[in-house]
Amino acid sequence: MANPFNLPMMGRSLRNLLSRPATRRYPSEVRPHFAGTRGTLEFDLDTCVFCGLCARRCPTVALTCSREDRFFAIEQLRCIACGVCIDLCNKDSLRMSEDAPHVHLHTGAAPGDPRPGHQEWHQQPPDGSPPVPGDAAGGTATAAV
Amino acid sequence: MDGTAFLARVEQYHRDGWRLALINVTTVLPAASAAHGAPGAHGAHGAEAPAGEAPAGEAPAGEAAAVAALPMGGPGVFEIAWGFARDREFETIREQIEAGTTVPSISEFFGAAFLYENEIRELFGINVTGIGVDLKGQLYKTSTRVPFSHAAVKARLAALAAAPVKPS
Amino acid sequence: MKRTTIPFGPQHPVLPEPLVLDLILEDEKVIDAIPTIGYIHRGLEALVESVEYTEFGYVVERICGICSFMHGMGYAVAMEEIMAVEVPERARWLRLIWAEMSRIHSHLLWLGLGADAFGFENLFMHCWRTREEVLDIFEKTTGGRIIFSVNRIGGVRRDISDTELAAIVTKLQQLGASFTETARIFETDPSIRHRLSGVGILSREDAHAVDAVGPMARASGIRMDTRLTGTHLYDRLDFEPVLETAGDCLARVVVRVREISQSIDLIRQAVDRMPKAEGAPIEVKVRGLPTGEVFERLEQPRGEVVYYIKANGTKYLERFRARTPTFANIPAMIKLVKGCDLADVPNIIMTIDPCISCTER
Repeated sequence: MANPFNLPMMGRSLRNLLSRPATRRYPSEVRPHFAGTRGTLEFDLDTCVFCGLCARRCPTVALTCSREDRFFAIEQLRCIACGVCIDLCNKDSLRMSEDAPHVHLHTGAAPGDPRPGHQEWHQQPPDGSPPVPGDAAGGTATAAV
Repeated sequence: MDGTAFLARVEQYHRDGWRLALINVTTVLPAASAAHGAPGAHGAHGAEAPAGEAPAGEAPAGEAAAVAALPMGGPGVFEIAWGFARDREFETIREQIEAGTTVPSISEFFGAAFLYENEIRELFGINVTGIGVDLKGQLYKTSTRVPFSHAAVKARLAALAAAPVKPS
Repeated sequence: MKRTTIPFGPQHPVLPEPLVLDLILEDEKVIDAIPTIGYIHRGLEALVESVEYTEFGYVVERICGICSFMHGMGYAVAMEEIMAVEVPERARWLRLIWAEMSRIHSHLLWLGLGADAFGFENLFMHCWRTREEVLDIFEKTTGGRIIFSVNRIGGVRRDISDTELAAIVTKLQQLGASFTETARIFETDPSIRHRLSGVGILSREDAHAVDAVGPMARASGIRMDTRLTGTHLYDRLDFEPVLETAGDCLARVVVRVREISQSIDLIRQAVDRMPKAEGAPIEVKVRGLPTGEVFERLEQPRGEVVYYIKANGTKYLERFRARTPTFANIPAMIKLVKGCDLADVPNIIMTIDPCISCTER
C-alpha cells in the first residue's frame, strides 16, 4: 500500500462525529409527505353516484361498486395507489390522502371476520325502500382496519 | 427449419461483429383455442411485416416477412426470434417450428446464448441441441413444469375463461 | 486435486437478492460456476394472458423496484410504437428527465451496496443518504418513491412545472457537488483500490464475446450505450458514454460513479433545451386495440434492456418479453468468476450490479 496517511474518508468521518444525525427519530419525528404523494385511497359516500366506472377500470380489482345495492367497497390491501380511479371519477368522490396506508394485521382474525383492509359503504336508497340492515341515517361506513 | 442455413446466417452475424440481444419464443396458438382471441387474429403471425416500426435508426424486425406461417394443427407451433444488435441496428432471424422439433444451439458463435437456450428449454420445452453450458433444467424453479407449452397455456386460458379475473 | 462444491447463495451477506451459484473449487480457485435462478420467478410474462394491455404497464413496473421507471417507460414506448401514437413532446422530455433520475438513484443504491460488499459500511450509508434526496424529488413529482405509476400509453400522467424543473436542476447540482467528495473516496481510497483493482478483469474482447451490456461493457472499453442511438430525445443532448479501459471491478465502480455526474448534466441539458411550455399536453388519448409487434431497446441503469411485445388485436397481448440487462450480464459474471479466488467472488458478483428480480421476472 502506497501512502498510509491517504485516508480520504477521514475528513467526512470526523465531520459526521461532530454534526447532528442525518436520520430522524422515527416514530417521534415523522417526515411530512409532499403534496400529491399517493398514499391511501379515500372515498366520499355523499357525492358518489355509483356509476361503477372506477370499479371496472381498477387494475387490481380493489373496488366494488353496485348501483342496485348502493354499495361501494375498497380492498385497501389490493389497492396499488395508482390513481386511475381518481382520474376517472367525474364526481370527485375518490381522493388520495398523503398518509401511508394503515398497516393491516391478520393476527387474531376469526373466520367470518371482515378481511383486513376491507372498507365498505352502504347508502340508503332514495326511494324509501327498506334500508340496509344496520343502517343509520343516510348511510353507514364500516371499516375493518 | 434448415439447421445448416440457419447456423450459416448466425455465423455471418458473428463475423460481422453483431452481439446477441435476445432469443425470444412465442407460443403460437390457433385463434380458435385462444380464449380471448379475436377471429382471424392469427393471420398476423409471421405472415406480414410488423405494424409497429422500430425507432428511427433501428432496423425493424423485417425478417418476419420471410417466414412462412406453418399450418396449424399438430402438436403446436412456436415462433423463435434470434435478435442481434450492432450499434444502432437491430435485426432478427425468425423461424417457426413445430413443438417437438429440435433447434440447434448458437453457443458456438455467441457464448452468452446458453442462458437463453436453457431458458427456452425449461419454459417452452423446446429441445436445443448442443447448448454450451447445459444447466440440466435447474435454471428456473417453476410450479408448472413447462409453463409456456401449448398445453399449459391452453389450460391457463381455459381456467381464465371459466373464472375471469375481472368481473365484467 | 480434490474438488469442492460450495453453494453461494441464495442467502449470502452480499446478496440483496437470491441468486445461487454452485461454485466448484480446486483449493481456493473457482474453476466453474453453475447459476440457478428462479427463486423469485413470478411468471410476470404469463400475466399478459389475464391482464389487459392498458393495465399491464402496472405489472411491468413491478418487475423490479429499482428499474421501475424504465420498465414502465419501455412498455409505454413499445406500445405507442405498435399503436402508432404520437406522444406530446413535453411528455417525452419528462420521461427522459425521470429516466436519468432513476439512473442516479439506481447507481447510488448500487454504490452503497457495493461499498457494503467490500466492507465499507460508512460509505454505504453516505451513498444511501444521497439517494434519499433523489427519492424525495421522485415523490414530489410522481407521488411515489419507488413505484411511480406515471407512465401511460400515450404519455405521462403528471406534469412538472417549469419552476419546479429549475428547482430540481439546482437541487441535483448541489447533490452532485456534495457527491464529488464521495466520488473521490471511491476513486482514491487505498483500501478500495486494494480490494478491487485488478480483480475480475474482463478484457474488451471477452466483453464482446459474452455480449456484456451497460456499465459492464463500458468499463471494459466498449463504446456501447443504447442512448447513443438517439432515440427518446437523446439525440438532442450532448452525450458521450463514460468509458474505462481497465475492465476490473474498480473500473466498473468508477464508471457508475461518473455516470451519476453525467446524468445530472443530462438533466440540466434537458431542462435547458426542452420548450418552456408549461401546461402543454402531456398525454394523448389512446383508443382501439393493438395489432403488431415491436422490439424496443432502452438503456437502463444496469445496461440495455430489450422488450418484445406482440399484440394480436385483442385486449390481451400475445407475448411480452423483457430481456433485462442482468440477464445479458450473467454470462459475463460466470466468465469472471471462473479462475478467481473464492474471496473475490462477492465483489465480482456485486460489480455486475445483479438485479435478480429483473432477470427472473
